[in-house]
Amino acid sequence: MGKIEWAMWANEQALASGLILLAGGIVGVAGQFRGWEFAAYAVAAGVFVCLLEYPRSKRAKGTSVERSGQYCFTVCVKAFGPLTRNYYVRAFLHAAICVPGGFMLATVLGCVCLGIASLIYLAAAIRGEHWEPILPRKDVRKPVAESIKNPPQNPPPRPPPETRRKQAKDLEGAAYDNPSSVTDD
Amino acid sequence: MAVSVRSWVANEGGKHLVLMLWLGANTWLFLRTYLLYSTGQQYHYLYKMLGLGLCISRASASVLNLNCCLVLLPMCRSLLTFIRGTHTVSSRKTRRLLDKSKSFHVACGVAICLFSAVHVSAHLVNVVNFSLSYSDDFPALNLARYRGEDPKWIILSTIPGVTGVLLVLILLLMFISSSYCIRVSNYEIFWYTHNLFIVFYTILMVHMVGGALKYQTNLKAHPPGCLRTNQSNSKLQDEDLVQAEDDDIRCREDAHFEPHYPQTWLWVSGPLCLYCVERLYRYIRSSDPVTIVTAIRHPCNVVELRMLKKDFKARPGQYIVLNCPGVSSFENHPFTLTKCPTANKETFGIHLRVVGDWTDRFTQLLLPPPRADMEILPMVQQRRYPKVFVDGPFGGPSEDVFNYDVSLCVAGGIGVTPFACVLQALLDGWRGFRLQRLYFVWVCKEIQSFYWFAELLCALHKKLWQENRPDYFNLKLYVSCTESLQRMSEERYRPLSSRLLVGRPKWKMILDEIGKSNKNRRVGVFCCGPKSISKTLHRLCNSTRSSGTVFEFNKESFS
Repeated sequence: MGKIEWAMWANEQALASGLILLAGGIVGVAGQFRGWEFAAYAVAAGVFVCLLEYPRSKRAKGTSVERSGQYCFTVCVKAFGPLTRNYYVRAFLHAAICVPGGFMLATVLGCVCLGIASLIYLAAAIRGEHWEPILPRKDVRKPVAESIKNPPQNPPPRPPPETRRKQAKDLEGAAYDNPSSVTDD
Repeated sequence: MAVSVRSWVANEGGKHLVLMLWLGANTWLFLRTYLLYSTGQQYHYLYKMLGLGLCISRASASVLNLNCCLVLLPMCRSLLTFIRGTHTVSSRKTRRLLDKSKSFHVACGVAICLFSAVHVSAHLVNVVNFSLSYSDDFPALNLARYRGEDPKWIILSTIPGVTGVLLVLILLLMFISSSYCIRVSNYEIFWYTHNLFIVFYTILMVHMVGGALKYQTNLKAHPPGCLRTNQSNSKLQDEDLVQAEDDDIRCREDAHFEPHYPQTWLWVSGPLCLYCVERLYRYIRSSDPVTIVTAIRHPCNVVELRMLKKDFKARPGQYIVLNCPGVSSFENHPFTLTKCPTANKETFGIHLRVVGDWTDRFTQLLLPPPRADMEILPMVQQRRYPKVFVDGPFGGPSEDVFNYDVSLCVAGGIGVTPFACVLQALLDGWRGFRLQRLYFVWVCKEIQSFYWFAELLCALHKKLWQENRPDYFNLKLYVSCTESLQRMSEERYRPLSSRLLVGRPKWKMILDEIGKSNKNRRVGVFCCGPKSISKTLHRLCNSTRSSGTVFEFNKESFS
């Protein structure tokens, strides 16, 4: 159980709770049930939680799969700096948001789920996790080797002209040892 | 790429037929229960009080019963392995359907969640109606204690209400933690929350205790809609009196109501018992510890483990689940067998790739890194291997390689493990099978990976060559990383290096070539590798082929 990343589970749970809170709030407002003001609050709270939780955090170890279209949300959430990085803040924020949902029947489920998500975030914060934005990686081009900028000034070494003329007439006599090795052993 | 009807039916037909049957069963059950509650005479008064919410909630409840019953069956892995193994019971078509058991489980799970949402919404409406339309005429029918009682207290003071809330919570926990990204990154969270199903089923079986919904028992004596002569019902009085006189309906007695007996246990207890028996059987079977014979390190982070266990029988293509208490008491990891026990040699083996923390720690226990002071002297002391428990073997799609005339096996990287077992079985005796020709394509990132099974491939090639069947085994090796030049320079691996190609394989050309050499035949395609390869192959298997060959796609997945 040592290496579980609780934050990822908390994130999924919180996103789902946001959606459930939103749905319950819409039903409560549409039906004009008793206490529909709580339902209206739940709609706003649900939208806020969904926006906050949509961008996934970067995993500490392994590949992170981001949700589709999450880049703009990442930028917005990142802008709040330590408020969104720290999971203690998120745990207490979710615990505070979920309380008013418990007063109306339609939003009770969202309230309980958000409460569970808040507890899991607390566990993640105690284990020292924090939120990292997933930003697109800039491809580093391989640095151009210095030798490309300085082409050789001299032609490759050739045997002297007498030997070269001899090569055409006498092949065996023209043999010479290559000074440098051509294999990369 | 045009989709050919024949290929599509061969590949997808069975799955879609089962899907249609399941949807049909759900729809029929929903409609039947809906009509029963909306038109049934025994529910007449209840329907008048609650309205549409009654019918929808009961109909969704019956669909939930069916799906809660079916969702456990695909997870009885030992039973499915047994069905797969008996050729008398199952044909190749049935075995291919068994490959999709996990998808069926997911489909039933999604249906449970959807219909739970419908059921909960309808019952919430019912609770509000119980409170608003409190019936003074038939007090036995009421769930609320007085008119206008707060629905929240109605829910919290009845057994169905409290159990319903708990069930929804557990279901949500199970559903949210079974999403793909959590399964891939932290499998333990998924496994432990999913094991809450036992709590879910226990609470489900007592959900109906208390009888919130009642039906009328004395229909003959009190036909619904008739009026007692001394009862005042001002709205309908005139019309009903006239009708009563016309039709000669008389109420002889008051309406009696009885609550329903809980019915869910009829649906659910069978599969639940079956699943619990299966888990117990697996636990007992895996409680014999396994002797580790040897552990060998291979290039590219792969370790081969050879083990011995009493009465262990396995077929090629099956997998086992390993548990090592020295690493983690509760984690179980599946590994495909790369060597099955035979009559001559009883050891069985797996190849595991070191990827996550469990495999890392396990490898460290198996092959401890050499200590600095022991480098000079050879390691002579007795190797103390950790205790390991093996559960299995469980069936996989690759068991069917021998049941086609011609098979194509495509492996990506470590996905070669199920096929290694198949090749080993061919090496032991290739004549006894229906298989007449095997095409084997293995794609790896680095050339060092081929050394995992280089001996096996060369031995099989040599044996078939000597026994005058060189066309039985057609090998193609691909190295997908084209950046650095890689060679296999050993002389004894010449059959491999001469069949080695650099770059990714062109699947369409490979399938065309196989199709031309095997006209009008059914070729089994077995793929075990990354999603990109299996998607491409699946699409190509469904498309038209001028040679008349039908490619049946079977996929093995490691998730």
